Amino acid sequence: MRAQEGEGAAKRSVSGKAPEPPRATLARINGAQKLAAIDAEGSRLGLRPGMNLADARAMHPALICAEADPEGEQQTLAHIADWCRRFTPLAALDAPDGVMLDVSGAAHLFGGEASLLAEIEERLRRQGFYAQGGLASTPEAAFALARYGEADFAARILPPALDAAELERRLGGLPLAALRLEPGTLSALAEAGLRRVHDVMMRPRAPIAARCGLALYARLDGLMGRGKTPISPRFEAPAFMTERRFLDGLCRREDVEASIAALAQDLCVLLARHGEGARRLEASLFRVDGKVMHYTVGTMRPLRDPALIARLFHERFEALSLAEDGEAFDAGFGFDVIRLAALALERKDPEQTGWSGQDGAEDHAQDRGRDLAELIDRLGARLGLRRVTRLAFNGTHAPEFAVIAIPAARYDSHHMKSEWPRFAASSAIGRQQEKEVNPMPARPIRLLERPELIEAIAAAPDGPPIKFRWRRVLHEVAAFEGPERIAPEWWRGTAALTRDYFRAEDCEGRRFWLFREGLFDRETARPRWFMHGFFA
Amino acid sequence: MLLEPMPLGPMPLPTPLAPQSDRLDFLRQKIGCIENSGPPAGKIRFGDNCRLDRTLHGLGRGVLHEIAPASASDGAAASGFALALCARFKAEAAPDRSAIIWIVEDFAGREGGAPYGPGLALYGLDPACLVLVRTASARDSLWTMEEALKCRAAVAVIGEIWTLEKLYGLAVSRRLALAAQAGGAGALLLAAGMAGGAGRLSSCAHTRFEISSARSGGAPRGSPLSGLPLPARQELPQPGLAAWSIRILKARATGPAAGADPIAILWDHDEGCFRDAFPLRFSADASDRPDDPAHARAGRGGGGETIRFRQSA
Repeated sequence: MRAQEGEGAAKRSVSGKAPEPPRATLARINGAQKLAAIDAEGSRLGLRPGMNLADARAMHPALICAEADPEGEQQTLAHIADWCRRFTPLAALDAPDGVMLDVSGAAHLFGGEASLLAEIEERLRRQGFYAQGGLASTPEAAFALARYGEADFAARILPPALDAAELERRLGGLPLAALRLEPGTLSALAEAGLRRVHDVMMRPRAPIAARCGLALYARLDGLMGRGKTPISPRFEAPAFMTERRFLDGLCRREDVEASIAALAQDLCVLLARHGEGARRLEASLFRVDGKVMHYTVGTMRPLRDPALIARLFHERFEALSLAEDGEAFDAGFGFDVIRLAALALERKDPEQTGWSGQDGAEDHAQDRGRDLAELIDRLGARLGLRRVTRLAFNGTHAPEFAVIAIPAARYDSHHMKSEWPRFAASSAIGRQQEKEVNPMPARPIRLLERPELIEAIAAAPDGPPIKFRWRRVLHEVAAFEGPERIAPEWWRGTAALTRDYFRAEDCEGRRFWLFREGLFDRETARPRWFMHGFFA
Repeated sequence: MLLEPMPLGPMPLPTPLAPQSDRLDFLRQKIGCIENSGPPAGKIRFGDNCRLDRTLHGLGRGVLHEIAPASASDGAAASGFALALCARFKAEAAPDRSAIIWIVEDFAGREGGAPYGPGLALYGLDPACLVLVRTASARDSLWTMEEALKCRAAVAVIGEIWTLEKLYGLAVSRRLALAAQAGGAGALLLAAGMAGGAGRLSSCAHTRFEISSARSGGAPRGSPLSGLPLPARQELPQPGLAAWSIRILKARATGPAAGADPIAILWDHDEGCFRDAFPLRFSADASDRPDDPAHARAGRGGGGETIRFRQSA
């Protein structure tokens, strides 16, 4: 593995002119204000992270300080990591101040490792970040070279397949901090007079391991390429992706959509060759100024049609441009890389078409099914996948949890089989008889998202309602059915009260589903009434 | 008026308007071409010999219908009527068309409640067919409705839109009508926020209903049919089937003022059809009743030879 480390410190670089005062960010550690990060000028003047603010001020009264913003820094770092995905799909965060890229097989696209590293550093510098990178065969070595390597650019690139002596010569001079050790271990080693990597390498392992733990040697082996540690990328590398790079940034939405359509053509060729279809697609737009935007669309069934893919993204962008509050489609100075990736795949065998006459009806039904799937995809792309739902029974008596809305894109046949309850008053009586006993359906067609408190008058504290006021209107009950007692699900440990549900019809014929919460005298002295749903 | 030169000589008999009616036909055809109205996609019946059928001669598929509640608290009744229509559309549709798409604007959902699966299943509508789309604005809803109507898998589309007045007009309704015609699904626009304001709508919808809920005329408790003991101390009756009083404000198929009077109708969710509503127990007019029960029985048993007429004074 060739890994490369770009150190993107979360501070804007300042131009290195002499009269510019040093800058630093402050963090409160153990009650004392300490320097968290320092700019180039500050480190030239001898300031170090971890210094007390008072000491630093005593050395340089002109020091300009700002509160550290760890969350903001993490966000910036995440943006940098995302931006780095233009070079390779495998980019991991290396908190707090680094980004780890796996560039195996990607470097030749940028003219070799040296020019790749130079390009990354140069582009980040142009965005206003001071960055130093290292490139080596193991993450540990890349980490060490990026942070503690020499200023000389070529020295921070470790060619593959070096022999042990050469490796020792190149890395032995690094400070022990490059092994990413615990501060305690580091200071213990420093007390023993061990400061450089080769100080440890030269000595026998057992005594040092006994004192400092095995982690030191695990690190050291990683550094020398004797062990393997994986990196954990922020996003999984997509199975298939296509991308286009542009000399000038694309600004118009039409151009972006056209290039996505062209990318979709290429992607579908890839998918067809492997017999796969895409269930989730992502378009990544890399803006010239470093911002990266990802747009995802999901599909109900494996998709391999370029026109449909282009249409889904068209809907997605259309929704963005119409959105009043959300982030608009902001092209800034244009996009220079556009990438289309298939994130989730599903097996899709070629469909047999044109076998006319044989089973036309079945074809017809398939067509209709496809129509519906395409509609759901289109609506999902435009409105958001979670807005297009289907209902499934959840197998519980608690009315508000009895039904769940599943995004239609994730709805499958096993949901379709869910049996809806019939709520027969008693199993002893037949359906026809039941209809005569109880013609009104037992459940309302619409349910309020949360029950609304109403004022109700009942003849007895445990009797049916006579009058109730809901949304400031007084309703007089003319007919009712109930109570239907629904007890809370005690086995789930809910502290809810028992509910007595009534189906009530007022004098104008409006029909409500309301309940009294709490059993009178047993659970509560003052039962409260709630409106919960409506019948037709 | 006629383009032919008038013949000389004796006045001809008045022609039976043949050339003119040809011309009318031609113009009708031309307008038909402009309107691009294909063959009608068929109609559904409301139920067996139901009064709405007699008034409207069925409800058209592939055309736009508007439904509005008569007052603010009739929202559930209006959506119930729309759902019942969906069930009818589904019952009379080809088996490969099954999806019912219900578009609910967020505000309408908060105000009137979200569609509830168990209740819909009991109401006669299989929730597995239902695709529920929540939209954030009326603009989104109208777009969604148009897209959904174009889909040939949909059997009916309900667009429940709250803030309709600003956007909706002749042009928008025409778009919806064209989409409905292309897809062939029943298009039901539920103007949930326009309680009592259905008269203000101007659109090219085929039909416009104003719905108010009606007393269901339920059976008194413990009816002899049920065989259950009469519960004590409960004088109020039980509610019955869903019932509405419907005013037809517009009906393009049958001409204006098809039914200015409200029509009382109820939904039999078990049979899946509409029925005329009348009181379940009513006594016959005194004049229709035989004055001698014994005679009436004899008459019924005796093959009908005894026919009694009322004597006029």
